[in-house]
Amino acid sequence: MSATTLSRPAPKSPASRAARQFFSNKLAVLGVIIVVALMIFSFIGPLIYQTEQVSTNLLQADLKPGEDGHPLGTDGLGYDVLGRLMVAGRTSILVGLAAGVLATILGTLWGSVAGYLGGWVDATMMRIVDAGIAIPGIFLLLVISAIVRPSEWMMILIIAVVSWLVPARLTRAEALSLKSRDYVLAIKATGGSNSRAILRHIIPNTIGTVVVNATFQVADAILLIAYISFLGMGLQPPSTDWGAMLTDGISAVYSGAWWLIFPAGIAIVLIVSAFNFIGDGLRDMFDVRGRS
Amino acid sequence: MSNDRKRLKVGLAAGITAFALLLTGCAGSGNSETPKSSGSAATVPAGVDTNVVNYALPPNATPNWILPIGIAGKMATHNSSIAQSLWSPMFTFDGSKGEMKLDLETGIADKMEYAADGKSVTFHMRDMHWSDGTAITTRDVEFWFNLIKANKETWGGYKEGRLPDNITNIDYTDEKTFTLTFDKVYNQDWLNSTQLTSIKPLPHHAWAKTSDEGKVGDEDRTAAGAKAIFGYLSKSSEDMASYATNPLWKTVSGPFTLGAFDNAGKTTLSKNEKYDGPDAAQVTTVNLLPFTSSDAEVNLLRSKGIDYGYIPTSMIDQQSQFESLGFQIEPWKGWAITYMPYNFNNPKLGNTFKQLYVRQALQSAIDQPTISKVIWKNGANPVYGPVPQDIPSPYLSESQKNNPYPYDLEKAKSLFAAHGWKAGADGVLVCEEAGAAENQCGEGVAAGTKMDLTMMVQSGSDEADKQFAAMQSSFRDIGVAVSFDRAPLNTVLNRTAPCESDAPDCTWEFSYFGAAGSWYFPAYPTGERIFSTGASVNFGNYSNAEADKLMDEALTTNDPKTMQDYSALLAEQLPVMWLPNPVYQVSVIRDGVTGTTQDPTANFFPQRWGWNK
Repeated sequence: MSATTLSRPAPKSPASRAARQFFSNKLAVLGVIIVVALMIFSFIGPLIYQTEQVSTNLLQADLKPGEDGHPLGTDGLGYDVLGRLMVAGRTSILVGLAAGVLATILGTLWGSVAGYLGGWVDATMMRIVDAGIAIPGIFLLLVISAIVRPSEWMMILIIAVVSWLVPARLTRAEALSLKSRDYVLAIKATGGSNSRAILRHIIPNTIGTVVVNATFQVADAILLIAYISFLGMGLQPPSTDWGAMLTDGISAVYSGAWWLIFPAGIAIVLIVSAFNFIGDGLRDMFDVRGRS
Repeated sequence: MSNDRKRLKVGLAAGITAFALLLTGCAGSGNSETPKSSGSAATVPAGVDTNVVNYALPPNATPNWILPIGIAGKMATHNSSIAQSLWSPMFTFDGSKGEMKLDLETGIADKMEYAADGKSVTFHMRDMHWSDGTAITTRDVEFWFNLIKANKETWGGYKEGRLPDNITNIDYTDEKTFTLTFDKVYNQDWLNSTQLTSIKPLPHHAWAKTSDEGKVGDEDRTAAGAKAIFGYLSKSSEDMASYATNPLWKTVSGPFTLGAFDNAGKTTLSKNEKYDGPDAAQVTTVNLLPFTSSDAEVNLLRSKGIDYGYIPTSMIDQQSQFESLGFQIEPWKGWAITYMPYNFNNPKLGNTFKQLYVRQALQSAIDQPTISKVIWKNGANPVYGPVPQDIPSPYLSESQKNNPYPYDLEKAKSLFAAHGWKAGADGVLVCEEAGAAENQCGEGVAAGTKMDLTMMVQSGSDEADKQFAAMQSSFRDIGVAVSFDRAPLNTVLNRTAPCESDAPDCTWEFSYFGAAGSWYFPAYPTGERIFSTGASVNFGNYSNAEADKLMDEALTTNDPKTMQDYSALLAEQLPVMWLPNPVYQVSVIRDGVTGTTQDPTANFFPQRWGWNK
């Protein structure tokens, strides 16, 4: 029997396995492509396609697509719709990302503290979460928007304030399970502080849940901005976002001015769908139970 | 997160767009052409019953009072218009014939003559009859006077010192002639338009009783008797269910009788075949249809259930769509002005607003003609002063008509520059030269004062939002920063009140409540209630002795120049920020309907509606 050398592929790192898992999900890849494309469109686009998006120009109002050098026409105040779509996208994506991330951080910290400490602390903290969830988020948003003057930073804060409850619950459930693991018990036994246990062991081990949820939070936040703006309580002009553009367009629906509705509406559907696809892919990546 | 929830989210996002896209897909191609005039010359569409006109009442405007003496809370124009079609007035003073003026051709009065000294007026009545055949006489006029004299505190049209207080004597010369003597000489237009138009002969022979079975007599000649009669008539008027059957309301002098009235407020007017006056009904039936919302009205309009209706101003650019359905769009211009008060007592900016050059600069940065045309789609008209200017009138000055402060950003900038204002690092003007000299910011304006304004604006109007976005843009160009505090109309009105500068609720700077017009005038458009010193609706505490004097004089002189001087003075002095005045409503009138000349004082005249035969 001749000696045979069996060549085995080098074992892949967990990161590359995860990446392969993620990229095997075609919808997730499509989601990434869409998000990247919309980011380039919204953040780099205005540098290439420069339009006036601060001062109105009523003499150029309500132009149809192609007229007077406006590929997507103009709106009722004379803003170039293509340029406005870029500026609005910047707001929607920026506020959505920041609010989603902030809500996730808040929720993760809250949930992990409650779950790890347990007892009356857990009971108190989670009753607050329950109470918050019982109040419709959109209602809170509209009330707060009516009280404070909406700016981009204020919108981020407001949306984060109503969005952190779900990640708090998810993280708390994870923390409840993790705190009985040996490595966490060992920290306690060696006199390690609660904050060390939470920051070094609980939170890092919930990262899968947190990251997946974060993508949905971003999608949620973008939708919430759209809702608020659609109801006329969003950013002050000349700032805008895709939801505000949709609101402006609604008054033109019977006039057949599709360029005031289609682009912003499609952009919202695309970005929200894309973040959901990415979240789906990430969940597959972190979820070992369903993997063959 | 579950897939279900994720799908729901994507579905919601898709839903917003799908809804919008669906609506767009359903829509025809529109345009923003200037609305055309009434379609009265158009051919009547096939299948239309030319004996009937269906008219849409404004949303939530349900008729609830039939007695032609209105009381508080029942003074809505639809009530008075219906009453006027059942009981003719002595005369009218309105814009129902295209111009605001006295109309002696359609009422019971055939002629009215003022005495040379202007202290008395004599009426000569036409030879007309009640629907039961009884002649209309001065006894019916006396009956009306007796009722309002004894019940003036209840009558909704009463104000102390005015009718009937300002009449010292009534002389009933004969059955068709009577003379009123006043306590002093008044402006005749004011008397005609706000006082004497109230006079309405009522059927003494049918109504001068205190119960259904009571006997008609002369009890109205005593105060107690007149009170008892008025009590009985008022009680009958509160019983809406009996409107169509109560014999009281069958005795009419107007071109219609009440055919039917249902609980929802649908009112059917039937032609008064016995009417022998000069303003006879053109059709046998007019249906006045009530609606709880404009959406419901527009839906019925689209299905051609209405011959004379309306659409929201935001739909004015859908003219071609309604034309293809067989309607004409005709904006109904109101006898109104639209403006935004400056709060002259605002602790931060009140002294700045008191500087005429500041108000001139801001007014020069508002392009009213373009805003009216582009944003309001011609559903609003520019306003340059205190007199309504959509409708021709002798009260309008040339100065107001010609706009003393046309859109001119360079002039606005130079006004600020000439008075010591310079742009800061953020581009917003700051007062650098405090003081009262010609080239300084003005008395009371502190150095460092910034032109950073907050405007309280009523929410819910797409056109108003766009108008303010355009204004914000122009103001930014001259170095004035503007932010908005949007709130529902009632909130804005609650927060807008005359105030002292040290009061906690005096922080508002500007207030806009004019998406449907800020102020509707009676036919004689004096502004003592909104611009005179200390007036209750003078929200911004504007005060100008010369304007006060002109407003006082306007009530007692017959020289139209006084009103013109008042118009010119306030057009130039800018007590408020003048803004485009939206129309009263955008009427949608079926092809072939005639007689739809629209009265700017918001009354309607069903007897003049008909079909082009």
